[in-house]
Amino acid sequence: MSRNLWLNLSIALALILIAAFAGRLHKWSWPRSSQQISHPSREREETATDPGSDESDSSKTEILVRFRPNVSRDAIERITSRLNDEVEDRIEAVDGLEVIEDEDNESADEVVAQYRALSEVEYAEANSEIKLDHEGAGKHMHANDELFFKQWALFNHGQDGGKSGADISAMQAWAVTRGSDQVVVAVLDSGVDYTHPDLAANIWTRPEIIKQYEDEDLTSEGAVDDVHGFNVVDDNGDPMDDNGHGTHCAGIIGAQGGNETGIAGINWTVKIMPLKFMDADGAGTTKDAIEAINYVINRKRAGVNVRVISASWGSTTNSRALEDLIRKAGQEGILFVAAAGNDHSDNDAKPHYPASYELNNVISVAATDRNDELTSFSNWGATSVDVAAPGQQIVSTWLNHGFEEKQGTSMATPFVAGVAALVLSTNPTISIDELRARLLNSVDAIPSLTGKVASGGRINAAKAVAAQ
Amino acid sequence: MSSIDPAIIVKARGDLARRLGVDENEIADGHIEQTDFPDASLGAPVEGEMSAQMITSGWRIRLQTAGETYEYRATARQLRLVNFKGRNYRV
Repeated sequence: MSRNLWLNLSIALALILIAAFAGRLHKWSWPRSSQQISHPSREREETATDPGSDESDSSKTEILVRFRPNVSRDAIERITSRLNDEVEDRIEAVDGLEVIEDEDNESADEVVAQYRALSEVEYAEANSEIKLDHEGAGKHMHANDELFFKQWALFNHGQDGGKSGADISAMQAWAVTRGSDQVVVAVLDSGVDYTHPDLAANIWTRPEIIKQYEDEDLTSEGAVDDVHGFNVVDDNGDPMDDNGHGTHCAGIIGAQGGNETGIAGINWTVKIMPLKFMDADGAGTTKDAIEAINYVINRKRAGVNVRVISASWGSTTNSRALEDLIRKAGQEGILFVAAAGNDHSDNDAKPHYPASYELNNVISVAATDRNDELTSFSNWGATSVDVAAPGQQIVSTWLNHGFEEKQGTSMATPFVAGVAALVLSTNPTISIDELRARLLNSVDAIPSLTGKVASGGRINAAKAVAAQ
Repeated sequence: MSSIDPAIIVKARGDLARRLGVDENEIADGHIEQTDFPDASLGAPVEGEMSAQMITSGWRIRLQTAGETYEYRATARQLRLVNFKGRNYRV
């Protein structure tokens, strides 16, 4: 064989290999939905606008269909194909739940009716009609965290006797933002287990350029090495939780999402600043609460971007000093989210502090259950309680690196604080007045809350992050 | 929830005897019931106290002496005397 022939053959082989490799690259870059379904543990973004995808027309109708348990994957594919539809995504947290995309320009009602008529289908419903004004339009994202299926407050598909849709629409919000490590939320509580595997990555650490906290009235040394926050009870820089309550609240706000572990926080990424002013019994003094807020204000002035305090505590004791500190926090650009209380009483008649302080940076939070009803324990107040959030059977992080289910307006409060942090992740310069207004104007109006909370609704993360 | 530790009841009886200045033998066990309290103060905050607003499981203990009933509330970690002469106490 001549030298030229070998050369030509080598060039031809090289071209074939390049062509083949380019094809693989294209395939890896733009996976079709059938490939996505074969990887149920992978976190994915369901998008109607994936670049390069031929299945990415945002004008197409999407519906949610749950097939019965005995319906195979192949059968689902055959059904959708017969109806000129396509499986856009599979919601792994719920067996048989699929996002179906219409391919022949039918309306959502028409497509829903087609699926509801099938014996293989348990239920079919139109995709939620939350209107997103910008790039999040038509998208949602779910978490692969192992306990996500229990987090009805983030995604309520009717599990455990709940009402489908009675949630804060977290998955739609996550298509817009999953939080930011530039946003710091102070959890003013019994401390936080900052070593918890589902929290550790999202715990605030004092940057070296920020000086240690100094308060000569508190410490003999005059400075506290506040690496991760502050412990007012023991007057040191170790805010480790010995009760569990603060760790639970922290997880709701910012347990690491999408890590196949535990739960997903409302913010997959955020910075939690642990503060301990309550002891192992979950009780603390007004004075220690004041000292902790003073710390937050000090850190804010030092350059820490702490914009939210989550306060899942209270009593009927009215303290002018506490009110003054919370007002001062507001003047520093810090939102104060507080629990309305669990006495099943009317805060308009019998105030519960600090939630009842009439300050423009305070949001008072009542608790709803998985059916969008005010819980049997929650306080209310047509004028003094601002909004409701999920607060019953809430699973979150706990001591000993565990997870537990708890209830109370304590649990509802961090849902609002967490949504506030989500808003701040995309609107870092928003004022407290604007932030508060956005949270309260973007609620889902709930009949059971009419006359019970001032906004008449339950918090909605998707609407909050999308409203402009 | 596990059953109440008898030591909690002993502690409550001793506390009440001390406050009333009577012998512990004069205090009769009343009713003990398991229940949910509205917060970490077991619905019995002491003056100036703030507490976690989380539903907290525990026990209501009623002790009787000289025709009067006194209420304690407890968890495995804490014991409180409720509305004793108009005030709550952490024991």
